[in-house]
Amino acid sequence: MSDDTPTPTTSPDGAGAGTDTDTDTDTSEPTHSTSPPSDSPSKTQSAIQSLSSILPSTPPPSLSSAFSLLHDPEVAAQISSLLRHPNSGAGENNLCRWLYDTFQSGDPDLQLVVLRFLPIIAGIYLSRVTIRKPLAGFEAVLLALYAHETTSRSGQPITVSVPDLSHPSVYHESNEPIKNNATELNLAVLSPTLEPHGTVRSTKRARIVGVALELYYSKISQMPVGSKIDFCEFCVVWSGHVYEENDGEERERMGKEGRIPLPWELLTPVLRILGHCIMGAREKKEVFEAAWAACRSLHARSMHDINSRAILATGSLLRLGKMDMEPTQNFDPTKIPNSDVLSI
Amino acid sequence: MEFGEHDRGIEVREVYANGVWMKTTEVEAKLDEGNIQEAESSLREGLSLNFEEARSLLGKLEYQRGNIEGALRVFEGIDLQAAIQRLQPPIAEKVTSRRGRSHSEPLHAVSQHAASLVLEAIYLKAKSLQKLGRLSEAARECKSVLDAVERLFYQGIPDVQVDNKLQETVSQAVELLPELWKQAGHYHDAISAYRCALLSQWNLDNDCCTRIQKRFAVLLLYGGVEAGPPSLAVQIDGSYIPKNNLEEAILLLMILMRKFILGKTQWDPSVMEHLTFALSLCRQTPVLAKQLEEIMPGVYHRVDRWNSLALCYSGAGQDDAALNLLRKSLHKHERPNDLIALLLAAKICSEDSHLAAEGVVYAQRTINNAQGIDEHIKSVGLRMLGLCLGMQAKVSSSDFERSRLQSEALKSLGGAIALDCNNTDLIFELGIQYAEHRNLNAALRYAKKFIDVTGGSILKGWRLLAVVLSAQQRFSEAEVVTDAAIDETSKWEQGPLLRLKAKLKLSQSLHMDAIETYRHLLALVQAQRKSFGPLRIFPQFEDDKVNEFEIWHGLANLYSSLSHWKDAEICLGKARELKQYSYEALHTEGILREGRGQIREALAAYIDALLLEPYYVPCKVLIGGVLSNRGLKVLPVARSLLSDALRIDPTNRKAWYYLGIVHRNDGRIADAADCFQAASMLEEFDPIESFSSIH
Repeated sequence: MSDDTPTPTTSPDGAGAGTDTDTDTDTSEPTHSTSPPSDSPSKTQSAIQSLSSILPSTPPPSLSSAFSLLHDPEVAAQISSLLRHPNSGAGENNLCRWLYDTFQSGDPDLQLVVLRFLPIIAGIYLSRVTIRKPLAGFEAVLLALYAHETTSRSGQPITVSVPDLSHPSVYHESNEPIKNNATELNLAVLSPTLEPHGTVRSTKRARIVGVALELYYSKISQMPVGSKIDFCEFCVVWSGHVYEENDGEERERMGKEGRIPLPWELLTPVLRILGHCIMGAREKKEVFEAAWAACRSLHARSMHDINSRAILATGSLLRLGKMDMEPTQNFDPTKIPNSDVLSI
Repeated sequence: MEFGEHDRGIEVREVYANGVWMKTTEVEAKLDEGNIQEAESSLREGLSLNFEEARSLLGKLEYQRGNIEGALRVFEGIDLQAAIQRLQPPIAEKVTSRRGRSHSEPLHAVSQHAASLVLEAIYLKAKSLQKLGRLSEAARECKSVLDAVERLFYQGIPDVQVDNKLQETVSQAVELLPELWKQAGHYHDAISAYRCALLSQWNLDNDCCTRIQKRFAVLLLYGGVEAGPPSLAVQIDGSYIPKNNLEEAILLLMILMRKFILGKTQWDPSVMEHLTFALSLCRQTPVLAKQLEEIMPGVYHRVDRWNSLALCYSGAGQDDAALNLLRKSLHKHERPNDLIALLLAAKICSEDSHLAAEGVVYAQRTINNAQGIDEHIKSVGLRMLGLCLGMQAKVSSSDFERSRLQSEALKSLGGAIALDCNNTDLIFELGIQYAEHRNLNAALRYAKKFIDVTGGSILKGWRLLAVVLSAQQRFSEAEVVTDAAIDETSKWEQGPLLRLKAKLKLSQSLHMDAIETYRHLLALVQAQRKSFGPLRIFPQFEDDKVNEFEIWHGLANLYSSLSHWKDAEICLGKARELKQYSYEALHTEGILREGRGQIREALAAYIDALLLEPYYVPCKVLIGGVLSNRGLKVLPVARSLLSDALRIDPTNRKAWYYLGIVHRNDGRIADAADCFQAASMLEEFDPIESFSSIH
């Protein structure tokens, strides 16, 4: 592997979050990166080496850092097709072992590479459990992600106390006197206490995958476009509802395979990720379109489940997406007004 | 591209300074030749400007002409930081807090005009860099505008004295900075910039502040970057500080809603949509309902508002409120064919036997209106129709009516499954319907199928299978299923399965095992109560939780079935400590009394139970049973109670048995024989827990 080959995909700021379209030429370190710059080249090298023995064709020589591993489209395509193979995911599967080992290496940048493939792993896994195939390989990876999240949260739940505007906050004042004790807040549990799990018990499956998706969401701004699109496509499969264009007329078709139960422990992170893909990644048209389709399918599903909260959540995402598609005005308040008279 | 706006014929720009007007044709020609210095000197001479003023004006001119690179070159030729340094007051004067509108006298009046000139130049430099896609650099320039304002005017400027131009530049920079960081992908910097914009005193106008709040809320809600809470420095005693992104986003969106309600800002429909998304994710739909109720009429169409409110209420389990709203919106003069409203109304009705007939109408209307792109909804309509009919059958007054409704219900559900064969809910519901109609083989088939298609991931599937097996008297198989289910659940969700297991042991007359299982269950429930608040269990499991009362009550029943009256009494006492007025506890007390031969007290307990719950079948049957042997005079009372019990629960074996005894004692031997036959047939189909209790 030659180190002096110019690599357009390699950027000095290892974890350049969402900078795909950024034509910014300056090379200073972004301050948002939570992970140290890839400080373990040996781990990365050994990960790349063991990966090249698994992939059908040799990875390009440009593959030298965790960042390039995360963003190289050729590597992603090869790994994806291996993961989608009908016999993938078994306990002795090489690729699953590689994903597991790479995640367990503890290197944050390498962990991102594993997370990049979570949509496919979770997607195939959940759709395949019902046909009784050996899936211990996928389960090992999912359990590793779950354990990681359990440790980093110290098992604590994620809660949200919904504010009551009659109490003043950092962003507003209130005329009512301040009550110091027991301000009545509505406490919501977004993700309950995490229990340790050594195996995937079937009733805990959705929870384990859901927590892995919560981890994915927390890193989503660093995920490549392809990964987000993979995720959106699996949402369509999971929902069991596909919209198709047929002779110029759009029809809904119920998907044959892959429809899965969608309890809230799974639906909550799914909706947060889709929310990001619709509202948070505007610059990427493909992501938006994939997420829009996923949202539509999930909306149809929520009607079939007559799940009020899911109807509300998916409905509002769809309306927001629509508002975004038809920008009524392009008012930019930071624009300098045009005038023919310039003055000081 | 905004440069396009310029092609409206020949443009004549003018510059104005120090009371002098000047056409820019000549200057522009020099710029076009690339001669910045000459252009600059002609401005300086013509308008009596100093170097920096002339350069700033030149940069502005280039920017307006759309020559962004040129503008940047001009700005780069000015040492703007040095210009700020010169404006800065001597260090010694910086004593107290950095900011805040201090009401002390202005010590050192920085020339607002001079500052405005420099700051505008830096701002234009930032805008130029933005247009050239050099976003991080742009952000840093923009930030230096704000830093300079903080340094130059650290004591604030009294409102009345603020220079318009300066305020405009500051507001624009405040608004631009977070956008630049965001576009550059530096989300953490963007979040700090937003907070700085909202928490510092920039004297922003309402619209500007609204825009910043909304954009910030959107970033917090969808950005996927968790950025710690706002710093403690901004805390006011007792005020609410959001502790994560979602809370902060919800707070900002609620503030925006309030601004709108108070008429301080224009209505923006997207704010409500963001809030809907955020609050429904957190299961806080009642809060959402409150927000919706506060919106003035006229913003939403009333039907839309009713339907959204209904979704909010039903999302929080307040089905009565939801149904009342849906009845309004589905009125023939409103929007009678709205599919979501119809489905929701049908679903609510399908869960209550007294509303089932109303639900049938909604379901039927859903089926009729599921057309075109919505055709897929037809299967849901059929499913709801089946469920409503099945529920209606439970309260029908005649056997004929009941069996007609039951077969229609199954037909409807069959129609639904033909359209939507992978719908797991539907598979489960078919299992329950068949079980309730005592078609146990079909029920078993669907229960197994449900476990298959869900991969065993849903607890109620396991429970249904075990209960159906128990109804077939296949207790040991039911136990195997229960044990398998226990293996597939984590400790805290095993309650309902352990309860099932205890009952299965009891059915096999393994009393000691049953007691052991109850003991295990009790330990589990007590540990659960002691160690954890509500945060441990995912809300979907909350309905399945076994409470301590049920265990003591189960144990009381167990001991009384063994005629261990003392132990039974102790357990019953424990149960009653937990729930004072319980018809189930009264039921058990009656059995205890009856077992000890205290018939009067037993009857009193049964009657008390019926006063608490008039539809409680077991006590009707027990009273019927007691009275069936108390002489001819009371036989009609017994008969009417038992008939009533059978009307509610036609498959109650004991009711048929006692009714047989009543007929026999009354001398109607043929009727008695029929009843006994019914009872003996039903004996084979008695589940250990009622099918409808499995949710």
